[in-house]
Amino acid sequence: MDFALVDKGIWLGLAGIGFAVLFNVPRRTLGAIYIMSALGGMLKFYMMSLDFGLVFAAFCGSSLIGFLSVLAAHYRKAPPMTFALPSLIPMIPGFFAYKAMVGVMKLTAEKDVEVYRKLFFETVNNGLSALFIILALSAGVAIPLLITRKETVKRIKTDVSNPQNENLEEEIL
Amino acid sequence: MEQGKPNKYELGEMLLEIGSLLMVAGANTERVKVTISRIAEAFGCGSDLMITNHALMITVRYKDENKTFTSVKWVPNMHLNFNLISDISTMSWKIVEEKWSVERINNEIKLLDQRALYPRFLVLFLVSLAGAAFCRLFGGASAEMILCFLGTFIGLFVRQETVKLKFNFYLCIFFAALTSSFVVGSYSYLNPHKDFIHALSTCVLFLIPGVPMINSFSDFIDGNILNGTTRGVNVLVIAFAIALGLMVSLLIFNLQ
Repeated sequence: MDFALVDKGIWLGLAGIGFAVLFNVPRRTLGAIYIMSALGGMLKFYMMSLDFGLVFAAFCGSSLIGFLSVLAAHYRKAPPMTFALPSLIPMIPGFFAYKAMVGVMKLTAEKDVEVYRKLFFETVNNGLSALFIILALSAGVAIPLLITRKETVKRIKTDVSNPQNENLEEEIL
Repeated sequence: MEQGKPNKYELGEMLLEIGSLLMVAGANTERVKVTISRIAEAFGCGSDLMITNHALMITVRYKDENKTFTSVKWVPNMHLNFNLISDISTMSWKIVEEKWSVERINNEIKLLDQRALYPRFLVLFLVSLAGAAFCRLFGGASAEMILCFLGTFIGLFVRQETVKLKFNFYLCIFFAALTSSFVVGSYSYLNPHKDFIHALSTCVLFLIPGVPMINSFSDFIDGNILNGTTRGVNVLVIAFAIALGLMVSLLIFNLQ
């Protein structure tokens, strides 16, 4: 594995930890969040290097985070969203959004038709990229959580077995 | 623990309190609904909820008798606290399994740790480090990373202070974005030949409303279209406030 990817992973993890602290997550979840945000982001960057396209790469990275958050919720006893949200934030396309915003500002002042055409193309392209990456991120993380939401399974299990048994350890929602 | 018949006011008020705590801490609509109906069921009651972004309305129905309880509670502005969500989630399962009384739950709610888990300067430091990490990920060099660190640090500090002074929520975000980009912009003004574009675009990233954004989407998926729309519009307004702050700095330093 090449070093650039590992280097990115280290910084991705740091970014995830920063947001986790901002959201005031329980202390026991910090380590898991570091690993998850690093893995999810690294998958995204790796797929981008294989020319899979930005949106699809973001979708896969966030899906990985979604599935890992369900696993982590079992082991660290906190709701999955506690893990998934801070890990997801480092993948948000801030640069595209910034470019789109500055582009709109330039457009309002531009009079030359040729320049306007080029600028408009770039701005719309950046804005749509940002929008679709954000949509892919939200969908990618929400779908694993929905698939593994086992509300009915829980109910049945509680009825059949003795409810006093270590149920709490398995129930995470 | 003995579970006596609760006074109808007590149970309803307690459910509203828990719902409002969850909403403020940043839970999505489905979680509030599931948690409250779970606790109500533990007391053998049915509950119907109406959840909007700033108000909770509940009707508790008792099984045998014909009495109901209906009340509305105002929900204050969002203040993210995932630790609280996690604690309430654990508590709701304990309530179901150990049959807690209303009185015990009320005591437990008071004991819940609502304060920040991490000291303020640790938060400032780690979030600034996250800003520097962002800068690095988007391709910034070490000088830009330090710049981004400083910008984020001062911006977040301004946001915390303005929130304390009880300014309008969106105005706080505008101030923070303005300060962050002003710090980075003033450096680029003093050193016009240095590259700063990565620092400028990443120093406001700590303000992005990630939680409302994802909550909005998951509300849509759960079919709570109205709440999802409200949250989505909230995200847009926050993004607009960030953009406005950035724009003012760009205009001040005449950067392109």
